[in-house]
Amino acid sequence: MAVVTSSGRRVTNRIAIAAILVITIIFLAPIYWIASTAFKPRQLATSVPPTVLFQPEVTPFVKLFTKRVQLRGPVDPEVYDAAPWWEQAIYDGGERVLRVGDSVQLSAYPNRFMNSLIVAITSTFLAVAMGTLTAYGFSRFKMKGEDDLLFFILSTRMLPPVVVAIPMFLMYRVFGMTDTHLGLIILYTAFNLSFAVWLMKGFMDEIPKEYEEAALVDGYTRLQSFFKIVLPEATTGIAATAVFSFIFAWNEYAFALIMTNRRAQTAPPFIPAQVGSGLTDWTVIAAGTFLFLVPVAIFTFALRGHLLRGVTFGAIRK
Amino acid sequence: MLKKRWTALLAGATMAFTVNAASAQELVIFWAEWDPANYLQELVNEYTEATGVTVTVETTPWSDFQTKAFTEFNAKGDAYDMVVGDSQWLGAGSTGGHYVDLTDFFAEHKVNDIMAPATVKAYAEYDGKFWAIPAEGDATGWAYRTDWFTDAKEMEAFKAKYGYDLAAPKTYAEMRDIAEFFYRPDDNQYGIAIYTDNSYDALVMGYENALFSYGGDLGDYSTYQVEGIVNSPEAIAALEMYRELYQFTPPNWGKTFFQEDNQAITEGLAAMSMNYFAFFPALNNPALNPHADNTGYFANPAGPGGAQHAALGGQGISIVSYSQNIDESKKFLEWFIQEDVQKRWAELGGYTCSAKVLESAEFRNATPYNEAFYQSMFMVKDFWAVPEYAELLTQINNRVYPYVVGGEGTAKEALDGLAADWKATFEKYGR
Amino acid sequence: MAGLARLEGDTRAAARGWSDLTIRNVFILPTIAFLIIFNIFPLIYSLGYSFTDFRASVNDPVNFVGLQNYRELLNDPNIWRNFTVTAQYVIVSVGGQVIVGFGLALLLNRKIPFKGLITTLLLLPMMMSMAVVGLFWKLLYDPSWGIINYGLGLGSFDWLSNPDMALYAVAITDIWMWAPFVMLLSLAGLSAVPSHLYEAAAIDRAGTWYTFTRITLPLVAPILIIAIIFRTMEAFKSFDLPFIMSGQPTTEMISIRLYKMAFQEWQTGRSSALAYIVLIVVLAITNIYVKYLNKVKER
Repeated sequence: MAVVTSSGRRVTNRIAIAAILVITIIFLAPIYWIASTAFKPRQLATSVPPTVLFQPEVTPFVKLFTKRVQLRGPVDPEVYDAAPWWEQAIYDGGERVLRVGDSVQLSAYPNRFMNSLIVAITSTFLAVAMGTLTAYGFSRFKMKGEDDLLFFILSTRMLPPVVVAIPMFLMYRVFGMTDTHLGLIILYTAFNLSFAVWLMKGFMDEIPKEYEEAALVDGYTRLQSFFKIVLPEATTGIAATAVFSFIFAWNEYAFALIMTNRRAQTAPPFIPAQVGSGLTDWTVIAAGTFLFLVPVAIFTFALRGHLLRGVTFGAIRK
Repeated sequence: MLKKRWTALLAGATMAFTVNAASAQELVIFWAEWDPANYLQELVNEYTEATGVTVTVETTPWSDFQTKAFTEFNAKGDAYDMVVGDSQWLGAGSTGGHYVDLTDFFAEHKVNDIMAPATVKAYAEYDGKFWAIPAEGDATGWAYRTDWFTDAKEMEAFKAKYGYDLAAPKTYAEMRDIAEFFYRPDDNQYGIAIYTDNSYDALVMGYENALFSYGGDLGDYSTYQVEGIVNSPEAIAALEMYRELYQFTPPNWGKTFFQEDNQAITEGLAAMSMNYFAFFPALNNPALNPHADNTGYFANPAGPGGAQHAALGGQGISIVSYSQNIDESKKFLEWFIQEDVQKRWAELGGYTCSAKVLESAEFRNATPYNEAFYQSMFMVKDFWAVPEYAELLTQINNRVYPYVVGGEGTAKEALDGLAADWKATFEKYGR
Repeated sequence: MAGLARLEGDTRAAARGWSDLTIRNVFILPTIAFLIIFNIFPLIYSLGYSFTDFRASVNDPVNFVGLQNYRELLNDPNIWRNFTVTAQYVIVSVGGQVIVGFGLALLLNRKIPFKGLITTLLLLPMMMSMAVVGLFWKLLYDPSWGIINYGLGLGSFDWLSNPDMALYAVAITDIWMWAPFVMLLSLAGLSAVPSHLYEAAAIDRAGTWYTFTRITLPLVAPILIIAIIFRTMEAFKSFDLPFIMSGQPTTEMISIRLYKMAFQEWQTGRSSALAYIVLIVVLAITNIYVKYLNKVKER
């Protein structure tokens, strides 16, 4: 087929769109399954055949946020009737809520979720800020052994976390940084920096030097021209880098598992731990997963414009 | 300016850390994520109400439990004041200096007289000293579907095929027959559910059940002799039996532990299912198990020689030697070993180790499985408790798993290899 | 440094505010220092351990054992099996991601409605935690109640307990998670191809295949290689997914062996040695990639 006619192209386009739709549906099916499981009654999570249509309920979320224990016998009907709707839902599931005095005991989920927010946001900010500056430095100024340095920076991301975990742990112990937010923030920043430098350097290389030089001629200092000219031009790259860094920090599992305990632990090691009463309660795990996906999805969707403009960035320049 | 702010931030972080650590009004107990941990949380809430000291039970999944605990120990961390640790940990916990020596505590409070002797030996003692208060007794037992077993048609067909009556198995040979009998993949119905997860000790527990009942052993725990014991004819026969049972499990049964084995019953997949007694409450709960009324329980069956044993589970509470609250923790343990607290512990669902409570008719009749539990606690045997037990555990997993799940090689090859591995490991540590 | 003097405008800029040298140092050095403290320092620490029989779990005296750990590890057939499994996994998984991801990018690189929305939706899998993804895919793969066998009509086909299938099952999950990453980067590369090149090719009546291999591929290659570098590194380190999904020896990757050795058996010294072997292998592979990348870029 040497000549591509316009009608031929239209047919190819239609086939492509159909293929995209099919692939998108396949890719999203598991996520739909998790999201729908988060609203299912417990028995339907493993029903045969799989249940697609059902009466959604929020019981999994109630369970997600409370400490519960199995019922050892039937509930007193008076107690049951006096209980609020959400507690009745837990009774219906064969469990009851734990209390200290009168107050309901919350599960660790809200606390872990907050820790995740603190750690992910701070470390993302630091990695992007440092990565942007470093990338600019590498992009604009020649340096002896520049390639080696860049390779060194990249190599810091090659280490399996297990490799650094033991010495890091002992080091943190000395500084009293195990099980602190600061400890995790530093770790994630270190891990994201290499990615940030590499990604940002690509963007910095694309920004024409002439822009800055014009600014220098206009009397700007180099620093001013960086902040006033280069940084705004690099917004797209910064946004894309931030998204990737955030996704990593938000979901990191191995270090969070090893380096933190009850005070600073993030949610990823906690969510799969919601085993429930002698049986995996898939609905609660799904609820935890679903809720945990929301912030990162919002963040990505909010920066979507940048992310996608970042995708076409090079094309505009060339 | 910037520097000042950083210093302030660092100082703030450090302060938050130290203040937290110094507060004696809170005790943290570390355990695995399972029902008994929730029961314990409920029990210690009563301690909080009585004394004002908050006690939190922190949990992590079984697969990470050991890693998490020992990472904290090895970094001399004070995040946990007490840990409800596995019996195999006693060697590593005591020789590593992670556990507080409770020998004096035992003498002062006569713990030996309070707790059942078997539990003290299993959960507390290492090298002649005491390192833990027996807290949660446990062993493996079996659940089965009474409605399938008492179905007239099934009983007739079973008798015709095997020549004896269908009932809860008394021996491993019978269990094999029953598993084979109920194995009907076309109806999505299977014979038996066993442990196969090799990420910690699940698979080994399952194999131990067969091994100990077959009269086999994992070696001589006093002389470190393994050759000829680990790979004895009894051990080989037991491993072959375990592999045979695996043939009658539901599909995708290659990484299973308590959740899957319970699910085999609740989802109506299997006729019989192995599990720790601590997980049976879920099967007795009609909201969680639609077949609750038709689920019965039996103790681990005997081997061909008539020996009958069960793999030990369960844990004791140890005080972590890096805790800032050792004295406060001892006070808590004093409270915990009182008879009425132990009784309450049993009521809430914990498997008390208190001899008096265990022997009471009240306890033995409290649930359909407590009697089987009571019997099992007198026939438990355990894995090595030496400091290098974890290495032994990976080695046995590496040898046994490919044979049981993958059908690689023979039982004899697997166990001969294991004997060699263990011998080398013991030589390495100069045992 | 000599290179700096050649920069245009250097002297003028240096007269006002910070000099270029200062800026370069202030911008770059903190990052380097940070990475040295938090990445290199631990490495030196564990290099030291790798020559000892240190066990962090006991208080036994630590002995220097020279190269014994390395020697024993390299003579251990099980370790070689772990490396083989890892290599298989990297090839299947990264290969799959490149095919699916690049294919998707080719499909998406045209004017279609809701392109932005679709692209972002496709990124959802990589926004999730590996541990949770592993857990859920176990549920999806379940022969009794999973939707995969149900949807594909596979009956009770066994994915994860089947030693021959488990690696592919885990790799499929990994492809699902990370093909979107390759897609995004490829899309960036594709849209950077100047359209006049295609127009010129059309005028020359070049075939689709010719256009693809002579124009598209060479221009996308650098960013595609970057995507492959990152994915190879991550696949090589894979831990969460195979660890949670399968216990098969056929999926025991080197990082799982390393984890068990370091954090279950507490053979700190020996595991540090293994970590170093892994590190050297990854460095070598990446170095090859980076060399290739630089060559491609120079063209």
